Amino acid sequence: MQSTRRGLMGGAVALATAGHANAQGLERLNLQLKWVTQAQFAGYYVAQARGFYRAAGLDVRINPGGPDIAPPQVIAGGRADVVVEWMPAALAARERGVPLVNIAQPFKRSGLMLTCRAETGIRTPADLRGRTLGVWFSGNEYPFLAWMARLGLRTDGSAQGVRVLRQGFNVDPLLQRQADCVSTMTYNEYWQVIDGGFRPEQLTVFRYEEQGVATLEDGLYVLESRMADPAFVTRMARFVKASMEGWNWARANVDAAAQIVLDNDLSGAQTIAHQRRMMGEIARLLDAENNGRLAVADFERTVQTLLSSGGASPVISRAPTGAWSHAVMDAIR
Amino acid sequence: MNTVLLGMAILVLGAFLVVRLARLEGRVLSLAAPLAFGATLILLWEVLVVGFAVPMALMPAPSAVAARMAMSSHLLAQDFAQTFLKAVLAGYAIGCGAGFAMALLVDRVPFLRRGLLPIGNLVAALPVVGIAPIMVMWFGFDWQSKAAVVVAMTFFPMLVNTVAGLAAAGSLERDLMRSFAANHRQTLLKLRLPAALPFIFTALKINAPLALIGAIVAEFFGSPTTGMGFRIATEAAKLALDMVWAEIIVAALAGSAFYGLVVLIERAATFWHPSIRS
Repeated sequence: MQSTRRGLMGGAVALATAGHANAQGLERLNLQLKWVTQAQFAGYYVAQARGFYRAAGLDVRINPGGPDIAPPQVIAGGRADVVVEWMPAALAARERGVPLVNIAQPFKRSGLMLTCRAETGIRTPADLRGRTLGVWFSGNEYPFLAWMARLGLRTDGSAQGVRVLRQGFNVDPLLQRQADCVSTMTYNEYWQVIDGGFRPEQLTVFRYEEQGVATLEDGLYVLESRMADPAFVTRMARFVKASMEGWNWARANVDAAAQIVLDNDLSGAQTIAHQRRMMGEIARLLDAENNGRLAVADFERTVQTLLSSGGASPVISRAPTGAWSHAVMDAIR
Repeated sequence: MNTVLLGMAILVLGAFLVVRLARLEGRVLSLAAPLAFGATLILLWEVLVVGFAVPMALMPAPSAVAARMAMSSHLLAQDFAQTFLKAVLAGYAIGCGAGFAMALLVDRVPFLRRGLLPIGNLVAALPVVGIAPIMVMWFGFDWQSKAAVVVAMTFFPMLVNTVAGLAAAGSLERDLMRSFAANHRQTLLKLRLPAALPFIFTALKINAPLALIGAIVAEFFGSPTTGMGFRIATEAAKLALDMVWAEIIVAALAGSAFYGLVVLIERAATFWHPSIRS
């Protein structure tokens, strides 16, 4: 009787402290992705499929995102332990009461670009004056606003400025010729334009990296309050290490990684050709040198871009403090 | 703990006040009880949000929302002009006008009634989130596509109610017109349309908030960088929920005012109807 109760108590304590250990002794972790299942997140799917997480003692549940899923809200609601998010949105969430902390930055370069129809005569950024441009909002408009501020183009639709349309998550405004340029990712929407019938020579492309206004994209973020728990930091270190192994494997095995992503796609909307192309482009954005350790200079550049983007409703009103941490990277053994 | 006690105190005092004020009579004094109730709720909201330090990403305090409304009043006015004055009013006028015209046609030609009423039913059943992107593709990003969505939403209620209204004139009155050798147009203008007015105003009252909802939702699917739907979507994505609530309040006030205006016109036009006379 005594031993049973002690056993039950011990079991309850173990369950409470072990971060939901499951029957095989693996620790459960919920990862929330920023978008739907696609090669943009291949590293995590590869780490799961190739057993890197299991070898690290982790049972990782990967939850795909989508148009109405905001990772900061998911983690604030307790439905994820770690999220993939872009830095502008994470900094905005931090300023508004959801204190996210960057623990790793797998993507070093930005894949965001503005794709224009060459037939409009646009060759240089100065030619954008008086044009109609499609821009994503919901967190993706800040590099664009910073760029326009730098070019001195007002976004109010005046003849001396630019007219901005809030485009949906497709490239129809370009294909239908309702906009002269649209926002695209190097790895996704640009190829939708190509598939839509345009040849590369019919398009003029501006990469935000080359314009000097890129912000950091896919990074891993957790809630600041959990960083006070050393066991959590160690668990995250194992997770990040296995994830970066997954990314390195994906970069070296593009076709196989694309197939793994396709196998995990429950919606059936993706095709192997599109995913292979995407994986190839994503590989160019990855951080090969530092293996996911956030470079502070990149962080500062992102903050500068956000603070200079102006507008009636800035994403952040002051420079953030404590928004990133190397504690997890340092804990990797 | 203090917050809970304060909240309960406000609730009790507010209930007491509302019950006492509800006994007042008169056109202006009878507003006192609902106003007190609203004030109690807002005060409770403020106390709970501030007391429990609820983050703004979840629920902003009414004071924060009011501050935002004052600070961004030009933005709110701009969004109101884009959504309400352009998309809603144009779509409402075209949708209700088309529904009314179709009802007159269906009434004149019974053969058309069998074919067109089911199509009207189908158009009404189309979900807004499905037709909005299609309208954006057809009519472009600006207010025209939002007005098109509003037309699709307001067409069917107007059609159905007008058809019902045109059948509402009593057979005694219709026989009387026939005995006066009135032709179809005279019967329509002097008997059947006035008799149909209560039904037509029912449709107009239904369509008023429907038009506003349709225009706002349609803006989620592609818009220029102004408009209430655009602002709600982008500010919610930034977790700036005080601006979202500010837009919600503007939308609620606009919708209520629009509905109230239609009710006032109804009272003047259908003064003879028993529901107005009592």
